[in-house]
Order: sequence, then structure tokens, then C-alpha cells
Amino acid sequence: MRVTNMVPDIQYAMQQSQQALSAALQQVSTGLRVNQPSDDPSASANMVISLAASASVDQYTSNIDSVSPLMQTADSAISAMVTSLSAAITLGTAGATGTASTTNKQDMAAQVEGDLSSLIAQANTSFQGVYVFGGSATATPPFVAASSTYTSAQGSAGSPLSPATALTPGSVTTISDATTGDTMTFKAVAGDTIATLSTAITNAVAAGTLSAGTSATINAGGQLTIGTNSGTNGIVVSSNDATLGSMTATSGSQVANAYAYVGDSNVNTVQVGNSTSVATTVAGSQLLTSGANVIGSLNGLITALQSGTSAQITTATTAVTTALNYVGQQRIPLDNTISQLSDQESYLGQDKITLTTQQTSLVGANLADAATNLSQAELINSAVLAAAAKVVPETLLSYLPQ
Amino acid sequence: MASLSTSLLTAVQSLDAATGALQVTNNNIANANTPGYSRQVAVFQEAAPTDDGGISTGNGVVLEGFQSVRDELVQTQIQQETQAQSGANAQLASLQQIQPAFTTSTQDIGTEMSALFSSLSSLSTDPTSSADGEAVITAGQNLTTAFHTASNTLTSQQSGLNTQVTQDVSQINQLTQQIAALNPKIAELNASGQIGGTLQDQQNQLVLSLSELTSVSVTQTSDGITLATGNGTPLVMGAQSFTLQTTTGSNGMQQVLDQNGTNITASLTSGDLGGTIQMRDQTIPGLLSQLDTLANQFGSAINAAQAKGFDQSGNAGKNFFSISPTVAGFAGDISMAITDPSQIAASSGGTAGSNGNLANLIAVQTAALPAGQTPGNAYANLVYTVGSLTSNATAESSATASSLLQLNDQLSSVSGVSIDEESANLITFQTAYEAAARVVTTVQSLFTITLAMGTAAAE
Repeated sequence: MRVTNMVPDIQYAMQQSQQALSAALQQVSTGLRVNQPSDDPSASANMVISLAASASVDQYTSNIDSVSPLMQTADSAISAMVTSLSAAITLGTAGATGTASTTNKQDMAAQVEGDLSSLIAQANTSFQGVYVFGGSATATPPFVAASSTYTSAQGSAGSPLSPATALTPGSVTTISDATTGDTMTFKAVAGDTIATLSTAITNAVAAGTLSAGTSATINAGGQLTIGTNSGTNGIVVSSNDATLGSMTATSGSQVANAYAYVGDSNVNTVQVGNSTSVATTVAGSQLLTSGANVIGSLNGLITALQSGTSAQITTATTAVTTALNYVGQQRIPLDNTISQLSDQESYLGQDKITLTTQQTSLVGANLADAATNLSQAELINSAVLAAAAKVVPETLLSYLPQ
Repeated sequence: MASLSTSLLTAVQSLDAATGALQVTNNNIANANTPGYSRQVAVFQEAAPTDDGGISTGNGVVLEGFQSVRDELVQTQIQQETQAQSGANAQLASLQQIQPAFTTSTQDIGTEMSALFSSLSSLSTDPTSSADGEAVITAGQNLTTAFHTASNTLTSQQSGLNTQVTQDVSQINQLTQQIAALNPKIAELNASGQIGGTLQDQQNQLVLSLSELTSVSVTQTSDGITLATGNGTPLVMGAQSFTLQTTTGSNGMQQVLDQNGTNITASLTSGDLGGTIQMRDQTIPGLLSQLDTLANQFGSAINAAQAKGFDQSGNAGKNFFSISPTVAGFAGDISMAITDPSQIAASSGGTAGSNGNLANLIAVQTAALPAGQTPGNAYANLVYTVGSLTSNATAESSATASSLLQLNDQLSSVSGVSIDEESANLITFQTAYEAAARVVTTVQSLFTITLAMGTAAAE
């Protein structure tokens, strides 16, 4: 083949070798084999998925770091509750011996009241604003001192509410009963009136959700009053219905040692793995009011110490012991979760390593190969440049006499 | 019968031939680096002999003219390969500008999508935390920005390519005019028996420039070359060129019309114009469709999850993203519908502090969208598509460049100027000239001797 001009071929060869050199240099300098999707489309796509998985693992780890102190706080609070219950049992046992004087038993009752207060304080424990025993209602203290009656802000003698007064559709009125430990939730729909709410309360009493005697009436001042008509049954009422206005406890109606649970029976869960979630809050109703009814047992012991016989004190103390055992059992799932979080954190650490290895494999450059490639590319480029320098100036003219 | 006069005439012809050959060599050397130049050779022919008494005597050499050395087949192959390379280069240049928007970074869609889910997950640890809520809103805004960036990159590329279509058509019209103008000149030279080497070279070079812009087929006729686009739309016939026009189509894009007003846009498949139209009308719309569908379905899924829950005030969850009624252009329009962290529907039942609905929002990450893939996989698929298109365009550009180099080498082996060859020719023709000149000197000397013969006899 007749060769006339080698410059285009030399330029092409230089371009190719310099491209190879640039690619090799980029791999060595970045440590990456894939710097843009076109370098390896499949690896780039898999990298997107792997990075998303990595971000999830990082977040799960962060979640564990966030909720672990919360769980520890809950565990410490339950431990403190156990201490309060144990102290109450000791007092109850001492009060049931028959040697304690009435005065002594009154003192003991007062001390048990203190234990109950401590227990409620623990039940209202929060960590960084999250009330751990409120179920999913973590924004407010879950246990509230109960009163016998609540009165609406709206309504007056001049403009009284009435059974026919329409409620605001979508509004929610809740009545939490300290004695039953249950909560009645009434969500108004179009057409509902105060009479509808009153009927719902009557039905809740019949169902045992609310204590007997709980009812809704319009007082002389034209306001809605929801009350238990009892000195021992306490309730907590709340409503966001603008027609009623806020419901407030009637002054002087607070019931001693009565605490209603205003949280809910749900719990918040937090994802700590692709298919692993843990409950991070505890439904206080399950812990303290339903089941062994811890608060009720302490109230029973207080009453027995104040006015009961030795046998009644013994029975009440036994109830507190049962409550103590119950609380202890409720602590087990919490402890298991704390342990699970620790294990999960270790697992996530391994998962992160696996993902990092996968990412390195997908887009990372093998440094030994990259260095070899760079060396080879340098060699080829030098050879091409040397050949160009030698070939380009060579013509017949160089050899002809001037 | 041979005579000194005949010999002198033969020598003079020889001088003329050598002079002509030296001129050709000179011209070849001068144009050694001129693009499109085909080397020329001097065509010598032995002069008709004189038959005198049965003795045939040669009469030297005649310079018939000059001839350009060409290979029309290779020239055609180069034109076709140039069309393919220009088309691939047009697509590659565009894709190389699109690719960074889909390259993993701290702000790409995949990263921002992960950040949104991470922020939601973080909020689940403390659903009333205003800081965590703000982080969710910020992550949502960042994700919409990432969608906007990717969408804007594609649409601005499309807009730039649209402008390129007009520019290419304008250049095509200029080139076809120039090519058509050369046709009668070349035909005239051919008709008069002359060789239109230089004009032919110019025309070939113009056709090659035209091939960089669009697909053309070349047919040789008695009136010169006839050019047509790939689908047969005439561009040049004899001295006439047919102007292409552009007009704004119903989609807002420039459409290419032939001289009859027929839309030939879709039939233009190679050259810079073909590659540009391919990117503008097919590749980029395909990518935009994928992107818009992802943004639309992702936004809708998040909004649906948001609607299942309640915000911190106990109100039913409002839309998280603003939803436009059409999918087309969605990625460029998506925006946050809420800006207040308290409007995040974290609660499942309306209870303040509940995080029950955050699980529904987070579950969007692993749930298949209506298109059949999870959001992350759908985006990964988009990244794969962009990477694959760019990689294929790179490979095609590289392959055509290599092929074009070989074809140019082939053409150069036929038509290219070799300085070494021309240097040798220079010596050859210089020697031939010197020899012919010596013959003239010799004949002159013989004439002198011959003339002196009579004088000497007389003395």
C-alpha cells in the first residue's frame, strides 16, 4: 500500500494513547474505576441501589442511637416503679401484722401515697420531650390527676348550651376514667349534638368503659358538665370542639390518688432494619391500669391502711405484690428490645462493611491494576511520541544534497 | 528523413513535457497538506513517429495534460462513514452534557431520595421534633431541586439541539448552493476535454462537509453530481440546488421541510443534523418521560401515604408534593406543597406524638410504583439508560473514527501527495529537462558545424 502521509495515523495513535493515559491517571487519582455512568452503566445502576441501601443502614444505626437512651429511660423508670411497689409492699406487710397502731397505719398510708406519687412521676417520664409511657401519644404526660367533674368553657346563663346544641363535625371529645382505666373517645359527625354525646357517655357507662354515674348535663350556668357524681371516681375530659371550648376540671373536684390515663393503647415503632422495627414507647394503660391495675392496687392499699382491717390490708398488699410481678413481666419485652437493639447495631455494622465492599467492587479501582495500567499507558504514550518524533521529520529531502 | 530540425523540435517538446511535469510536481508539493486535494500526474504520450521510406522514426514526447488521481468508491465510503461519525458525535456531545446530572453526587436524585427517607426515619424517633421535621421539609425541597436540575438539563439540551437544527439546515443550504454552482463549471471543462481537477476537489470537499451535516447520496450525471438526502429528497441537480426550510412544529420544535413543504424531519437519520434530531426527538424525550414518570409516581405515592395520616394538629394529611395534572414536565414542576413541619402527617390516628403514619411514608421506598419498580430501582434504571446511551455513542464514535482513519489512509494511498515521491519526481523531471536542454545544445552545435562545413570548403 502506498503511504503518503503518516501524520493522521500518528495523531490518531497519540490521541488514543493519551486517552488511555488520562483514563489510567483518573483511576489512580480517584481510586475509582467508574467515575460516570458511561464507564460502566450496569455498575452505576447497581451503585445507586447500593448507596440507597447504605444510607438506610446509616439511618437505622442512627435510629438505634436515638431510641436506645429512650428505651434505657423507660427501663430505668420501670425499675423505679418496682422500687416504689416494693416499698409499698413492705409498708403493707408491716401494716397487716396487727401490731401497728391506727396512727402508724395512717402514716403508712401516707407513705404509700408518696410511693404512688413517685410511681406516677415515673410513669410520666419523658426523654427529650417524648413521654415513653403514653403509647403513641408521646407529646403530653400520659397520667393526669383526675377530677370528679369537668366544665366546658362555652355556655353561659345568657347563652346556655343545650342538649340540642350541635357539635362540630370532626371534633373529638375524650373521657379518661381513673377507676376503669379506660377512655371513651367521641368523634362528632354531622348532625351530632350534646344529646348525642350524652347518649354516648351513657352507653360507655353501660359497657364498663366509664364508671357508673358518669353523665353529661347542662349546669345552671349554661355550661356542659361531665361528671361522675362520686367522690372516689375521677375522670379527665378533653375536647377540641369549638362549640364546647376547652374542658377544665371544676375547682375543688380533684379526686385524691386518682390518676387517669390520657395516652393511647398504641405504641410508636421505629425501623431499625429493612424488616425490623421495634416499639419505642409503652402503652401506660397496659403497664399500670389494665391487667393487674397497678395504680388501683396502690389505691386499694392506701384505703386499707387508712381504714381497713389487717385481713383487708393483707389482701391489698397481695394485690400490690401481684401488680409488682406484673410490672416485672412487662419489663421483660422492654429489656429484650434493648438487647435486640444492641444485636441489631452489630448486625448493621457488618451490613455496612458488606455494602462498602460491594461498592468498592462495583466502582472501585484495583489499585495494583490501576497502577499497572498507568505504567503501561505511560509506556505506550512515550513510545508513540518517540515514534512520531522519529518518523515525522524523515523525508527524502533530508538526504538530498543542498 | 530525420533532420537536425526534427531533433531540435523533439528536444523542445521534451523540454515542454519536463516543464509541465515539474509544474505538476510543484503543485502537488504546494498542496500536500490541502484538505481534499487529489494529487495530479502529468500525462505523457509518445509522439506519432515519422515513417520515411519504411523507416519509422520517433518524434519524442507530447504532454497530453494533467490528471487527478482519485478513487470514487473510497470517496463515497468516506462520505458515508463521515455521516455516521458526525451523527454519533452529535449524540455523544449531547449525552456527555446530560450525563453529569445522573452521575452519583451529593445532590443527585438517588442521594436526595435516600436523604428524604432517612429524614422521615429520623423523625420517627421523635415525631414532634421540629428539628427533625424541618429536616424532612428540607430533604423534600432538595429532592424537588434534584428533579428540577435533571429535568432542566434535559430540556435545555433539547432547546440547544433545536437551535442546532436551524443552524445545520442553514449550512446545508449554503453547501448545496456552492456544490450546484460548481456543477456547470466542471461539466464545461469536461465537455471541452479538460480535466477539472481543482474544481472536482473543491466539490468533493464540499460534499464531504455536507456529509458531516446530513445523509446524502451522490450520483454522477452528465450535468455533474446529483445529491439527495437519505430518503431521496433532492438537494442538488445540475446547476440547481433545492433549499431546505425549517418551521416550528406543533411540539414547538423546528421541523425540516423539503422544497415542496413536505416534512422530512423523521427521515434525517445521520450526519450532525440526523444525530441532533435523533437526540432531540427520541433520546431526550425518552429520558424525560422516564424522569417525569418517576417524579409523578413517586410524588403521588408520598402524597397517598401522607393522606393516610394526620398532622400535628390532628388534621388529615395534606399533599406533601404539589401535583400537576399531567405527567409530561412533572419533574420540572414538582414542588413542596407543605412548608411547615407540623403539617407532616406523622400520626396514624391524629394523636399528637404518634409516628404510626411515618411507616407508611417510609414504606414508599420499598414499594413498587405503578410502573413496576421501587423508586430507587426506577432511578437506577434511568442512570443505566443514560450510561448505556453514552457508552454506546462513545463506542460508535470511536469505531467510526477508526474506520474513517483507515478509509482516509486508503484514499491517501491513491490520491495523497507523498513528499518523497514528489522529491524523486522533481529529480527525475529536472534530469529530463537537463537532458533535453543538452540535446538542444548539441543540435545547436551540430547546426554550427553544419553551417561551418560550407565555409571551410570555400576556404
